[in-house]
Amino acid sequence: MASQIDLKQLNLVASPHIKARATTQHIMIMVCISLLPLCVNGVILFGIPALITLAVSVVSCVVFEWVAQKLLKKPVAIQNGSAVVTGLLLALVVSPVTPVWMIILGAFFAIVIGKEFFGGIGSNVFNPALIGRGFMVLSFAAAMGTWVTPVDAISTATVLATLKTGDTSFVTSDYFQLFIGNQAGTIGETSAMLILIAAVFLLITKIIDWRAPLAMTATVAILTFFSGADVLAHLLSGGLLFGAVFMTTDYTTAPVTAWGRVIFGFGCGLITFLIRQFGGLPEGVMFSILIMNAFTPFLNKIIGRKAGEPRKTLFKKSPGGV
Amino acid sequence: MYRTSEIQAFSVDYLSSSHYNICMSTNTFKGGLHLPEHKELSDGQAIHAVCPSAKLFCIPVTQGGAQNNPVVAVGDKVARGQKIAESDAFMSVPVHSSVSGVVKSIENKLVSGNVQASCIIIEKDDRDDTAFLPVSDPFTCTKEEAVERIKQAGIVGMGGAAFPTHVKLSPPADKPIDCIIANGSECEPYLTVDERTMIESADAVIDGLAIVMHIAGAKSGILALEDNKTHVLPILEEAIEKAGYSQTMGTVLCKTKYPQGSERSIIQAALNREIPRGGLPFDVGCLVCNVGTLCAISEAFREGKPLIERAFTVSGKACTKPQNLKVPVGTLISDLIEEYFDVCDDVKKIISGGPMMGFAMKSPEFPVQKNTSGILFFNAAESNLTEESPCIGCGRCIKGCPWRLTPVLMARALKNNDTDTAKKYGLMDCAECGSCAYVCPAHVRLVHRFRLGKMIARKKEANAKAKAAAMQKGGK
Repeated sequence: MASQIDLKQLNLVASPHIKARATTQHIMIMVCISLLPLCVNGVILFGIPALITLAVSVVSCVVFEWVAQKLLKKPVAIQNGSAVVTGLLLALVVSPVTPVWMIILGAFFAIVIGKEFFGGIGSNVFNPALIGRGFMVLSFAAAMGTWVTPVDAISTATVLATLKTGDTSFVTSDYFQLFIGNQAGTIGETSAMLILIAAVFLLITKIIDWRAPLAMTATVAILTFFSGADVLAHLLSGGLLFGAVFMTTDYTTAPVTAWGRVIFGFGCGLITFLIRQFGGLPEGVMFSILIMNAFTPFLNKIIGRKAGEPRKTLFKKSPGGV
Repeated sequence: MYRTSEIQAFSVDYLSSSHYNICMSTNTFKGGLHLPEHKELSDGQAIHAVCPSAKLFCIPVTQGGAQNNPVVAVGDKVARGQKIAESDAFMSVPVHSSVSGVVKSIENKLVSGNVQASCIIIEKDDRDDTAFLPVSDPFTCTKEEAVERIKQAGIVGMGGAAFPTHVKLSPPADKPIDCIIANGSECEPYLTVDERTMIESADAVIDGLAIVMHIAGAKSGILALEDNKTHVLPILEEAIEKAGYSQTMGTVLCKTKYPQGSERSIIQAALNREIPRGGLPFDVGCLVCNVGTLCAISEAFREGKPLIERAFTVSGKACTKPQNLKVPVGTLISDLIEEYFDVCDDVKKIISGGPMMGFAMKSPEFPVQKNTSGILFFNAAESNLTEESPCIGCGRCIKGCPWRLTPVLMARALKNNDTDTAKKYGLMDCAECGSCAYVCPAHVRLVHRFRLGKMIARKKEANAKAKAAAMQKGGK
């Protein structure tokens, strides 16, 4: 008991004096947990090469972050786990047969150029994992476009590439194979089922917001339907679901406001559809999200009604709006 | 108990009937937080009226409202209830001596808010003189007289803001008041004093509510509680029945959520009315009074007693005996330590007020004021001591903001000294409730930044105005 309180030990930091338990680290751990089934599935489908890709990507991301922070004389903050998340995401969006040195280069581009040069966590404009992959796709187009079938690892084309050639012979059981992930693709994008489970987990734990992912998938589905293409095949193959769940919900590079997120998702969906339908590439998820990342600061200007403000209508311009 | 939809129609038939069986409430507002309550520490502890054995009382000259000046000089003998400070301003609320004694000195002392302010130090003697106002009947005197009595009794909002009650009771003539809300939500964690006031002084609360309704000309009165205080409902309803106000008064339960106690939230939750931006409760025909304030209003008329005593909660895990105390205004917290409770060695924070909006104090040597609702002694585990880390843009602060502002973007704009953009995102609307900073996973000190930002924005506005005035002058 203290009859005389030691005044020096009193903390004078301003209110609020209590705090929710969630921290940045906690959020990153939850994202890693949600990615774990996808990693395991990737290793089961594509074997040791997938495991090596995952390990190399995570380790090099963490090491590059540590080195960059040391060299830039910033406090080292690798313990917040964001580099681990970037590493996992980068590995999950590349082909399992990508050469190791390419992955290291991709990780370097993602962490050092995509993130630390912009000011580190919270300041980057583009999604680090996607900017790393973007760099790899543009630099090593051939290697990054090499796909293998699950389990027996025979060189093959992805479903979207097949669709592009005009081959649209799908039967119901094929859709099921796509749904459970029995298709060629990147390590993490093949199984729609596992991605949806991760999405539900992240939604329940309130780590992600439903708006952008839903807007993106809905936009692609609706536009694909009207273009007359196979909607289910477009939804279940390629990186659409993976991108929608894990990339459009990235905190730093996507808008923070509700309507900003909806429009962000819509833009991603629209660009994805345009690239898939009319572009030279079979897949457009990565570029669509990277392009929309650039719009994020502008989309953040779309704010809702403040308490006590008259309700906004679509056609009347009101203060504080766009 | 009635629900929002029913209040709108406010039927006398409904009030006289008794459908009192709903326990979980759906009355609520958007945004806000479910906080760990920690009310169990001092829950069920009756308000213990005490006076410390220490002789010196330190009464701040201004406790809400405009700046006062002392009306006593050093060496004067003062009686309990005697006016010792006032000013001519309409916004001013007089301050009374809470003990009988001699004025020792008038000097700057540490007060709530962790600032120095002019205080009258009174040394208590054994004369025990009292000088209360004459007893008055609020229902027979004129409204002007009643408002003046509330002012002369030194009554301010006891929920924490210390807004002068007589000002609240003088709305513009074109804003009729139809409903008075007695605010018993007590949404700050740890605090239990309002709950105890409602249990122990239900009659005085009801009487105070009737007086305010009479003065404001309101036809209905509502006692609004959070649904963690359901057990208080029967006591209040019995008191309403006993006083014969069942036709005009009722209770409303609201979903327990922070910051329910703010006027904007409670009006939204209890009546489903929304105060316009920059407006006040009278803009939607309402007036909100804390239950403690209502109690004080009743005493001011029935006993002629000015606001010289204050009940508050002492709590926190570094306090050995959490409890509810009632002491004369001006009692130093340090004089209560050891006599009524003790403080553990591991105390890390002393807070005047609640944990969400209170002030961290640098020493326990500060007086209890009219608006002191709690004194908390936190150990390191309870306190929020983590360092700031970079904002990751998760948007949790937007969801948590009960005012539907965009804290993350306000903070980003302020980082670039761009107060205009911050204002567009709602900087000046911020009530500093702390919801955003509470949920922030990066521990960004958002409230602190907004306080600074507001100061800078006001300064810029004043500068711009002065510049414009100077330009005009030069042009002439």
